[in-house]
Amino acid sequence: MQQGPLVRRNTMQILLVAPAIVYLVALTQAPFAVTLWYSLHKWILTEPELGRPFVGFSNFGEALLHDAIFRTSILNLVEITGSIVVASLGLGLLLALLLNRTFPGRGVVRALLITPFFVMPTVNAVVWKNLLLNPNYGLFSWATDSLGLGRLDIFASAPKLGIVVMAVWQWTPFMMLVLLAGLQSLPNEVHEAALIDGANAWSEFRHVTLPLLGPYIELALLLGSIYILQLFGEIFVATQGGPGSATTTLPYYVYQTISQDHDVGMASAQAVLAIVVASLIASLLLRLMGRMFRPVAS
Amino acid sequence: MRGRKANVAGLGLTTLTYACALAMIFPIIWTVLTSLKSEVDAVAQPPSLAFLPTLEHYREAFLDQHYLEFFRNSMILALGSTLLACVIGIPAAYGLSLQAAAKAQKTLSWILSTKMLPVVGIVVPLLVLYKSLGLFDTYVGMILLYAAMNLPLVIWMMRSFFAEVPHELIEASSIDGAGTLRTLVSIVLPLALPGIAATALLCVIFAWNEFFIAVNLTGSRTGTIPVYISGFMTSEGLFWAKMSAASTLAIIPVFCLGLAAQRSLVRGLTMGAIK
Repeated sequence: MQQGPLVRRNTMQILLVAPAIVYLVALTQAPFAVTLWYSLHKWILTEPELGRPFVGFSNFGEALLHDAIFRTSILNLVEITGSIVVASLGLGLLLALLLNRTFPGRGVVRALLITPFFVMPTVNAVVWKNLLLNPNYGLFSWATDSLGLGRLDIFASAPKLGIVVMAVWQWTPFMMLVLLAGLQSLPNEVHEAALIDGANAWSEFRHVTLPLLGPYIELALLLGSIYILQLFGEIFVATQGGPGSATTTLPYYVYQTISQDHDVGMASAQAVLAIVVASLIASLLLRLMGRMFRPVAS
Repeated sequence: MRGRKANVAGLGLTTLTYACALAMIFPIIWTVLTSLKSEVDAVAQPPSLAFLPTLEHYREAFLDQHYLEFFRNSMILALGSTLLACVIGIPAAYGLSLQAAAKAQKTLSWILSTKMLPVVGIVVPLLVLYKSLGLFDTYVGMILLYAAMNLPLVIWMMRSFFAEVPHELIEASSIDGAGTLRTLVSIVLPLALPGIAATALLCVIFAWNEFFIAVNLTGSRTGTIPVYISGFMTSEGLFWAKMSAASTLAIIPVFCLGLAAQRSLVRGLTMGAIK
């Protein structure tokens, strides 16, 4: 008898949480199970006469062994994501350190520094691709030309760099915010103790701030990687994966397979592999980070 | 002596900070400037700074039925999906905040893991199923997906806000005989209102900016602003002023919301891991 209210409360808790779980299973896990199922079939939407025969792992075999662009798209994904994450983390750390002081107008400066993060990917891409980086009318190519360096045509000469530049602009604020939160959580005594020890600014940063910031750097790296691995709008608008397949990343290639080839089976297999690659990168990062930021024993 | 040296260094650092802020905001300033130029000035070389500003392109945008439709679609999807995510997510967050920490943590990790799944992993079956169910290019279909996209955020963030509500208040209310639901509605929700507002703002921002799902699962009826903007990718050398005006209008709502949500931004982006 006495357990009555407790049982009722537990039931209530479950009732509160259950809809959310059912909803997420239905809209994320179930479709992924279907992706797995589709990936084992040959099914091209525009060729219904072929039917949808079960083909086992042949889609995976073809993607991994016979499709050079697919392999390129994995390498591109790693290269582009890695460059963006490292560059935006470095810049974000610099900006966070600059913001972690008291100076006039700090609030406004902080707000200005965050704004690129709110720009939607397609606006980011049309602005950078046209207004700033267009070889004939863009501001930056005019600047390089005026400096006697010739017209900058980054999407022809270094297309990956072009994508990286606009994504770094967008993601630096994210890294900055996470690291700034970390800096502000550091106890003031740490700084004072370093001063008393006669540490200069660099050695204080290197031996005190950076190790203490470790968990925040890890978080920024991990979350940043997860988000940036899904980069799509910038590539879609600025390069369409080109020239050739120079900026075709895994997500973009899956998009091409489904929207241009209408190949459900192959696109599903590629999507499954995309998830495998993303999980591998995430777990690799987690392991690396555990090693890099272990507190220094003294 | 030392004090003066520190002052000079500080001034230098502050100047550097201002320069960085200016550099980061510059592409946006340039976009706004271009939106106020005539099309001829927009592509002028060298870039024209002394131009006669015009609001013509904004006027055009507001008169462009096509553009307004995309705008309306974006608003319906962003608000609808945020409402749905909150209706499902807030009770779940509250339920989890009542559970023992170890038990809740398992559920929370699982919820977070659904967010880690790249959307590309589910887009193919969604496309096929949506077309056969008649959900392709519909408000309902898109709202369902955007709500799913934001649900983990709502649960994680709201749970971290609920955790800040003093436990005594909840207990006092249940001793008074109020049920779990009534305690939620009359005691906890009013206290967590700022948290709900911040969470909703972030949901709206993410739905407003979302592109991958939109480009795959919307067509002429429910296309959103990011999809409209992507249409400028082929108009090279043409209509840069118009493009800039459309872009400026597309990012203004998010800037305003973002400014309002600034203080909870970190919490939202890290799923409540950092307060």
